[in-house]
Formats: sequence, structure tokens, C-alpha cells
Amino acid sequence: MSSVNNFNLFYENELKHLLTPLEEDRKKIKKYGIAGFFFLGTAILLFIISAASHNSGTAVIAFILILSALILLIVFGNKKKSFAAGFKETIVRKIIHFIDPSLTYTPHLSISKTDYLNSGLFVEQPDRYSGDDYIEGTHEKTFFCFSELHTERKVSSGKSTHWETIFRGLFFIADFNKNFSGRTYVWSERNPQINFLTKLFSSFAWNLEKVRLESVEFEKRFIVYSSDQVEARYILTPSFMERIVRLQQLMGEGTSLSFVNTNIHVAVPIKDELFEPAIFSVNDYNRLGDFYNTINIVFDIIDELKLNQRLWNKE
Amino acid sequence: MSPLIIILLLVIFLIPVFIYNNLIRKKNAVDNAFFSIDVVLKKRYDLIPQLVETVKGYMQHERGLLTSVTELRQKVMQDNLSANERVKLDNQINTVLQQIFVSFENYPQLKSSENFLRLQGAINETEEQLAASRRFYNAAVNDYHNAIETFPSSLIASAAGMGRKEYFNIPDSEKSASAININ
Repeated sequence: MSSVNNFNLFYENELKHLLTPLEEDRKKIKKYGIAGFFFLGTAILLFIISAASHNSGTAVIAFILILSALILLIVFGNKKKSFAAGFKETIVRKIIHFIDPSLTYTPHLSISKTDYLNSGLFVEQPDRYSGDDYIEGTHEKTFFCFSELHTERKVSSGKSTHWETIFRGLFFIADFNKNFSGRTYVWSERNPQINFLTKLFSSFAWNLEKVRLESVEFEKRFIVYSSDQVEARYILTPSFMERIVRLQQLMGEGTSLSFVNTNIHVAVPIKDELFEPAIFSVNDYNRLGDFYNTINIVFDIIDELKLNQRLWNKE
Repeated sequence: MSPLIIILLLVIFLIPVFIYNNLIRKKNAVDNAFFSIDVVLKKRYDLIPQLVETVKGYMQHERGLLTSVTELRQKVMQDNLSANERVKLDNQINTVLQQIFVSFENYPQLKSSENFLRLQGAINETEEQLAASRRFYNAAVNDYHNAIETFPSSLIASAAGMGRKEYFNIPDSEKSASAININ
């Protein structure tokens, strides 16, 4: 892994000159966007005026403007999409390989819905499931993969429907360094998904038991359910609990973990989209630095939780 | 008798039954937890002969320790032991094993033995499982104590003669999940 200073150098030598032509493209695309939104705004204004003054001429102009705005925004949308794809191929891929050349990056893939559901971190079936920027690799002895995920539920009230986010952020899966056969969930206390019903279901339908642990700090932040009381404690040793608390301090309060199918799953809520280039502002050192830091989160998880420490009979 | 009085009497009768059943569940949880320790201990005893076999060629100066751990294992495997005797023997095994683990550091050549490394992993696994079982036992005892000492279940508990149970002393080395590592 490379340090921040190295990234500085890397940016100056390898990325900066690639950003110049991309910056030209970005400015052109931005113009389509601004023109589209401007036409749309003007058209709405003209519609209001025409409705108030009963002037059909103004309405016709407004209609033409709406059509132009639509065409412009469609072009803007398409150009933005291909710009983002090109940006990811040239810039993001380079940053990822700078961190570790052995990592594989597939921009259009994500963690599968089955893996997401199997993790048990989010108990409800999402109505809409999307994600991208799938990265996988091995850090020392630990195989891992992660991607951005956005899962939503459909909420209907009367005739109107809208979408509510269940989870948005980085979803991480890695091979855990100890053997286990049961299921253990370390849900964040701040996770709104874990409500009364979940707790009730956990006990009855899912055959899970609440695990009360000794660490006060840990108990304040997490709620633990497991299919095996002893195994939960085998995974959550006192020192491992301390590390999970530190991890949550680092990643944010909504961070939850689960231990299922010999893997560890970590969900880190992040509000912004990961690895998406900006269109209305410059893609500069700071923005690329954010990308770099996001990828490093994963290495931090592995290092902080000492997943490479293989003292047990699991290779 | 009016139905209200019948319901009232039923409730008065049922509440102690519920409390008593709850106490029994908690007491059984403690017994189960104790049993889970026993399972891991058996696993640990099974590893001892393998350990002795693997390291005796290397550890010339610790012959005494290896012999005593083998003898203690034979004693603890007998069926007619009381719980107290078993705990006492287990503590002795613990002490000797810790001494053996410490002396591994003097034999870096053990690192090249495939058998030893596999065994090392298995021992670490059992030691952590043991620590986990003991923590579970203590949690179950704590839960049980809360039930027998808080009102109103304390009344039923004392009537049924339910007393406090002993906690396991978890050594500091186990709290930090001691694992042998000679790397």
C-alpha cells in the first residue's frame, strides 16, 4: 500500500496530465447541462405567464423550449454517462492499481444481491437494488471484495410513490480468519433497520439469541444476535471488540458487521456516490484524494481487524 | 364465584409459575454453558497427546513438563471425578500447558515442522473457544444472579432454594485471548 505522500507524487506525475483533456470534455458537457436546465426553467416560467395571460403564442414558445430542454438534457445525460465511464477507466483504474496492482476493478459490477441478503445486515428485501465499482483482490492472506451499493424500498401513500434508501455506501466482504459455522450479527445501534420487529423476528423466526457482551463501550454501540452464544464470543474476543469499536469510530456510527458463511461482511454508510467524476465542479487533487482514501478504507478494515493474523487453523 | 374472581385467582396462581419457569430456564442456561466448557475441555485433552508426541523430539529440557501434563490428562479423563477435583486438575493442566507454550519460543526449529504448525493452530483455536465458553458461562451466571436477586423473582428463588453460582476466574492472559505464536 502506498502512503499519502506517494499519492501526492503519483498525482503530479501520472494523473495530472490525464486530467487536462478530461477537463476539456467536462466543460463541454457542463454547457449542455446548464443550457438544458436554463431552457427548462425559462419554459416553466413562460407556461406560468401564458396561463395567467391566456396568451397561446407564449405557450407555443414554452412548448418548443421544453422540447429543446428535453433534447439537451438527454444529450447531457448520455455524455455524462460516457464521460464517467471513460473517467473510471483512465483515472479510477489507475488510482486502484497504484494502491495495489493486483486488484481487479469492474466499474459496472457490484456485490450480488444474494451476498447482500445473505449477509443479514439488512433484513428487508429491497425493491430496487443498484451498485457499481466492484473491486476484488487479496491483501496479504485475506481475500476481499467490495462495491458501492444503493438499496431502496418503495413507499406508496395514496396514489404517490417514492423511494426510501435502505442502505447506501460501501459494502465489503472478506474471508474471516477463524472457522465458524453459525451466524453472528453485529448491528449498529444507530441502524434504523434494526427496530423492534427485527429483534422479535431474530428470536423467533430466525432462531437467533441476543448476545450480551462484557464491553460497555461495545454494548453501547452495537446490538449482537447470534445462532451460537459460544461461537459469537469466539469471534468477538475482548480485543476484537475493541478493534470493532475503533473501526466504527473511523468509519461512522452506522457501520455494521456480520459473520456468516465463513465471511465477514461490513456495511459502511456513505452518502455520496463513490468514484463518480464531478461535472459541475473540477476533478482536482482533492476529489481524487477522496477516491484514494475510500479504497484505503478497505485496507484499514483488514488491518484494523487484523484479518491477516492467521493463528488458527484457517489458511 | 364471579368470573372476575376466577380470572384474578388464575393470575395470582400463574404469575409465580411464570417466574419459577423463567428462573429454571436461567438455571438451565448456566448448566448448558457449563457443558459447553466441558466440550471444549475434552477437545483440549485430546490435543495433549498429539502435542507431546510432536514436540518431545525437540524439547529435551522440558521432559518433566511433558510427562506431568500427560499424567494430569490421564487423571482428568477418569469418569469418577467430582466437579471440584476436575476444576483443580484442569487448573494444573492450564499451568503446565502455559509453561510448555512459553518454552516453544526457545525452539525456533519447531516453526519448520508442518505437524507443529497445524497443532499450534488447533491449540489456539481450542484456547479461544475455551475462553469464549467461559465468558458465556459467566454471562449466563450473571443473568441468573440478576433473576434470583431482583424482586419479585427473588421471593420464589429463595423459596425454591436457588442460590448463587460461582463465576469462572478468567485469567488475564485469556481475556486478551492468548494465542501461541512463535513467528
